[in-house]
Amino acid sequence: MANIAAGRIQRELREVMNSDEAIKNQIKIEFPIDDYSELQGEIIGPPETPYQGGRFKLHIKVPETYPFNPPQVKFVTKIWHPNISSVTGAICLDILKDQWAAAMTLRTVLLSLQALLADAEPDDPQDAVVAKQYKDDHDEYIRTAKHWTTVYAGGNTKNQELEQKVKQIVEMGFEETCAREALSSSCWDVAKAIENLMS
Amino acid sequence: MANKDVKPVSMDQEIEQLTGMARDEAILAHQDKIEKEIKESTQLVSEKMPLSVLADEFKSDPVYCQKIDDLLTTHRFIRKTRGDGNCFFRAFGFAYFETLLTDKVELHRFIGIAKKSKEELILLGFPAFTLEDFHDTFMEAVRSIQDKPSLENLVETYCDQGISDYLVVYFRLLTSGELQKRADFYQDFIEGGRTVKEFCSQEVEPMSKESDHIHIIALTNALEVGIRVAYLDRGEGGKVNCHDFYEGCIPQTTLLYRPGHYDILYS
Repeated sequence: MANIAAGRIQRELREVMNSDEAIKNQIKIEFPIDDYSELQGEIIGPPETPYQGGRFKLHIKVPETYPFNPPQVKFVTKIWHPNISSVTGAICLDILKDQWAAAMTLRTVLLSLQALLADAEPDDPQDAVVAKQYKDDHDEYIRTAKHWTTVYAGGNTKNQELEQKVKQIVEMGFEETCAREALSSSCWDVAKAIENLMS
Repeated sequence: MANKDVKPVSMDQEIEQLTGMARDEAILAHQDKIEKEIKESTQLVSEKMPLSVLADEFKSDPVYCQKIDDLLTTHRFIRKTRGDGNCFFRAFGFAYFETLLTDKVELHRFIGIAKKSKEELILLGFPAFTLEDFHDTFMEAVRSIQDKPSLENLVETYCDQGISDYLVVYFRLLTSGELQKRADFYQDFIEGGRTVKEFCSQEVEPMSKESDHIHIIALTNALEVGIRVAYLDRGEGGKVNCHDFYEGCIPQTTLLYRPGHYDILYS
């Protein structure tokens, strides 16, 4: 890693660790000793959103050309959100692409991701299925996003009905993650989910 | 049950099949490749070259040839910059700093403006800690002109990507700062129903975003540095048109514009 990037990242890590948000345990960054190119980030789901109560882990890759090019960020924790791929965790956010500016920091990125969780942009989706549900059947989207927060991010709104449906499909011999994804994509219609899984 | 083979294939899936990458990844990889090619073929700031190199480049183009002939009556040399989207800032910065090598009074005035700019930008809400980084590097480059006014040093500074890009970032921040400070005035120049703030974060602050007139007007006003831009384009008349920024200034340097790119001109 180039010297500029490493020096700057060290200062940025201090900025994150000393920030109000980190002190309140809302954002976090961890890194292996002496390697600032691959970092682990974490944000909590904003209150009054389906992500409330969840802790979402992020993988942050700092390019050699940092800060002139943006860090590459992905969700490690699975999440149901129009601008984040439910399969790969890839994020669609302008500042991580062509609107990155060298004066921004990792703290800016983490706070922007939290803001994205609170305020999705379904017209510029990363995950077309989630975006469609968000627009066409918003209640279903909220129910599914809350469920994913509980299952994958340690949220605490258990939903027996949805769990039961997942179990039903798992018992047919499908893998749990696949079953949950299929159900989520088909608004928890078991017959439709099975059809998707078998096609 | 749907058969997998007849399922409609989306554009994204198609790209993924072709490149083995997701769409965004494929676009980024392609951009990287183009950037790399440009990087290998041109320096950030070249040596001063006779203007005839330009005539050679365009020898099969009668419109440009006629205009280059016209340009040759007033200018003899060119210094090229890399076409990486930052060329205006790099050309402006280099050409202006070059005048500072021999103009102590102007250098003194500029140091004053540059020093003051940090506080102004922080007041506008730029994060102090990254801003300081860019400001410090910028001031270091300006002070080295004072301590050791050599053209060789200046070329070295501007060709060292690590430093050169820091200077570009600071010029971009100065431009953004001016636009935001006088947002009421600049709002009318902005297309697409965007606010000045949105325009700055989309078109001014990110690296590699090309400069338009509004960037030039803002930066030359912010620093009170006049420049002349000579336009080598397809406009009729066989003459190179010139325009001075800011309005009513006495231009200190001349830049050459051809669609999408800025270089430096010398008489």
